[in-house]
Amino acid sequence: MTMTMTTTDTPSLQHSISPGLPVEIGKIDRELKKLWAESGSAMTRASLMNLAVYSEAPGSLPRNTEIIFKITEDHACRAIVIGANPGAKENRVEAWISAHCHVSRAGGKQICSEQLSFLLEGPSARLLPNIVFSHLDSDLPLCLWWQGEFHEPMDPQLWAWVDRVIYDSQTWSDFRTQMQRVETAQADAKQRIVLCDLNWTRLVQFRLGLAQFFDHPASHQDLEEIESVEIDFAPGYRSTALLLAGWLAAQLHWTLEKSSKDAALAFRDRAEKAIRVSLTEKVGEPISRCAVKCGSTAFHVAHSANADLLDVSVEGSNSERKCLMPAGSNDPVRLMSEELMRGGPHRVYLRAMSCVRDLL
Amino acid sequence: MSKTSETQQTNPLREGLATRTVPQACTVVIFGATGDLTMRKLIPALYNIAADGELPPALTVVGFARRPKTDEQFRKEQEEATRKFSRQTVRDEIWDGFAQSLFYHQSEFHDASGYKSLVERLEKIDKERGTGGNRLFYLAVAPDQFEPILKNLKEAGLNKAGEGSWARVIVEKPFGTDLDSAKELNRIVRQAFSEDQTYRIDHFLGKETAQNILVLRFANAIFEPIWNGRYVDHIQITAAETLGVEGRAGYYEGAGALRDMVQNHLLQLLCLVAMEPPTDLGADSIRGEKVKIVKSLRRMTHEEIAENVVRGQYAEGAINGKDVPGYRSEKGVKPDSKTETFVALRVRVDDWRLADVPIYIRVGKRLPKSGTEISVHFKKAPPVLFNKESVSLDQNVLVIRIQPDEGISLRMQAKMPGTTFRIEPVKMDFHYGTSFGKASPEAYERLLLDAMSGDATLFARRDEVEEAWAFIDPIEEAWVAKENQPGLFEYPAGSWGPEEADELLARDGRAWRRL
Repeated sequence: MTMTMTTTDTPSLQHSISPGLPVEIGKIDRELKKLWAESGSAMTRASLMNLAVYSEAPGSLPRNTEIIFKITEDHACRAIVIGANPGAKENRVEAWISAHCHVSRAGGKQICSEQLSFLLEGPSARLLPNIVFSHLDSDLPLCLWWQGEFHEPMDPQLWAWVDRVIYDSQTWSDFRTQMQRVETAQADAKQRIVLCDLNWTRLVQFRLGLAQFFDHPASHQDLEEIESVEIDFAPGYRSTALLLAGWLAAQLHWTLEKSSKDAALAFRDRAEKAIRVSLTEKVGEPISRCAVKCGSTAFHVAHSANADLLDVSVEGSNSERKCLMPAGSNDPVRLMSEELMRGGPHRVYLRAMSCVRDLL
Repeated sequence: MSKTSETQQTNPLREGLATRTVPQACTVVIFGATGDLTMRKLIPALYNIAADGELPPALTVVGFARRPKTDEQFRKEQEEATRKFSRQTVRDEIWDGFAQSLFYHQSEFHDASGYKSLVERLEKIDKERGTGGNRLFYLAVAPDQFEPILKNLKEAGLNKAGEGSWARVIVEKPFGTDLDSAKELNRIVRQAFSEDQTYRIDHFLGKETAQNILVLRFANAIFEPIWNGRYVDHIQITAAETLGVEGRAGYYEGAGALRDMVQNHLLQLLCLVAMEPPTDLGADSIRGEKVKIVKSLRRMTHEEIAENVVRGQYAEGAINGKDVPGYRSEKGVKPDSKTETFVALRVRVDDWRLADVPIYIRVGKRLPKSGTEISVHFKKAPPVLFNKESVSLDQNVLVIRIQPDEGISLRMQAKMPGTTFRIEPVKMDFHYGTSFGKASPEAYERLLLDAMSGDATLFARRDEVEEAWAFIDPIEEAWVAKENQPGLFEYPAGSWGPEEADELLARDGRAWRRL
């Protein structure tokens, strides 16, 4: 048997990544053992978690295989990648195994993560929990990355096993219904499931850029004096901009006014002062600019011409300064890596979302 | 590692974003700005922090040194050095922004007028760049320069910060050459800065695996119950390097392995491995527990030193298949030098946890391979069932690798496949590099961020330093005593030290771990 291998020093392979070696579902464990037995001592298998990826999008298996290849460079895991088509008439179940190997930082040894891939078509799509349960790497946490929309009924069996569920609310057509499903499933699971929204992860660098303005105790007063906020967002990313506004509102105890309209949101702070948050659609990065105005001082965070950096600047009567900070990028690999690296319970996300829930 | 800082408590926008204390905008004044440490470590570390987006944007660096130089020349020199020594590739657009925060201030260290103009410059920077009057003075100079610098800082009023601001000083090692000189240095520092303003740097503590010792011990319930003399047979701490003195003969001749490595780095590791759980993760809680260990180190008499300490010096030999000269033939070394390049010690910690658990420490230059490791050797299984006299089993050994290839391994016994009961040791191995793809920051990055955040956990406290010297001094004194002076043993470069070091353990029925 040959090992399907992708390595960091053969980037050209990335575009021809296939899910790997076809195997019978009942023989996956045996085939995996064979795969490692044949790999020799120059390779080390590593795993810190189970990462299950579920998608119903056509052609998702090769695309997700490529994403997993890149994610495993920083996050060793056992990946269980599922491409499903529940609406298909024919019943079809297929499985593949592969390994993604990267040369370790110290050089020499290849560090490899396993990927098990499944194609479930027709009625067999309901096998999802069974497929996941029978192929988990024991004692390691399970992160379920659900790409797309959640459907009723949500399988309580599956949710009871999940530690973190990762989704991207930016892709949802109906936020309220989707979130309701997630929260119901979370409550039914009777265990702590952390909700991780990649739409929230998208905001990490902007939040860092804004937060650092107010680290010095002398600048805390400015937070009380915010008068207006301007957020520019790309078409399709209004929900991302709303989450950013929701974050400021939640952390600074602003209350959303009922009169809030599409282009401008009206909040009141604890002192009942009005704060206007204007949202402007502009072609570019999901969030291309955020400006916070407090009296004569304006705090800006904006994507620089070089899109992987943020221009962070203050203009005001006292001082003017600017610097560059990492901006990250909007690609799924970066978002997932950021999410897996940061972890945490995401309480701030839940508060931010609650603040603007009716607008999402 | 310390408790949540005031910054995090009062900046609500930081909630959920920072898992460490947030550094505050400040001006870092580096004394010795044209020296090796600044070029190789400090500026590259600050650049890397900036590139990772963790440096406060207003942060400003003022290099203070004797040679005449413009800001632009200073920036250019630092750029060249950073491109050479940075762990990340230098990006032009980030460097360009970072370089604008670098300034140069020319003055002799003893010239009071240079400090007066420094005050003016720092005040101007506070106004223009928003550094808020916070100052971090980094003494990247030889200890004999501490006094004029600190005295002048005090006279210029730079040791005190305005309301709502802070002034701190980072002091590089070596912090003294014995207890008296350490006390004297502490006295000099204390005249200008109080203890809570003083950060004595030991870059070993900035290493990821050194910090992970506390996590391993106190975040895993399985280890703590067996981390005592009932289950632990002995502990070994090894710091081996293949390098010789490498152009540092001038310093090394006056220091030797005991002062250079044991007094600071290895005793710090010993503290982390032997200390009791602190009440919280605050700097003083952790450092308080560490000090108890240094104080508990059993002091040795002259006779006990001869019995428990072995010193050696490398003779010519071979490293990695290449012939290398002996220590006394190295450039800058006296032909009759008695400086030790190897030390092995058997030490005892007189506390309840590790009473009767010997701790063996060895450090040496020109050893066959480089590596710093701590190994905890557990007692053997009772001599029944599998562990009979005829087939004595190996001990379980927990190894904490500090560098290189940071990680942890556990040796245990396993049955060999087959119809007979053959038992062999196997190793469970965790490598940081394998499990976590993200590269660890350099020790200096972590320590600079901590100093800017006011977190002194990973810096040595005055009493730690002085107690460590109080333990080391009698050994140094015995080595220069006129009577019954313990021998200095030669070992060929490329060997694991003198035979006497092996005998130190052999007398106890033990042997050094094979690295």
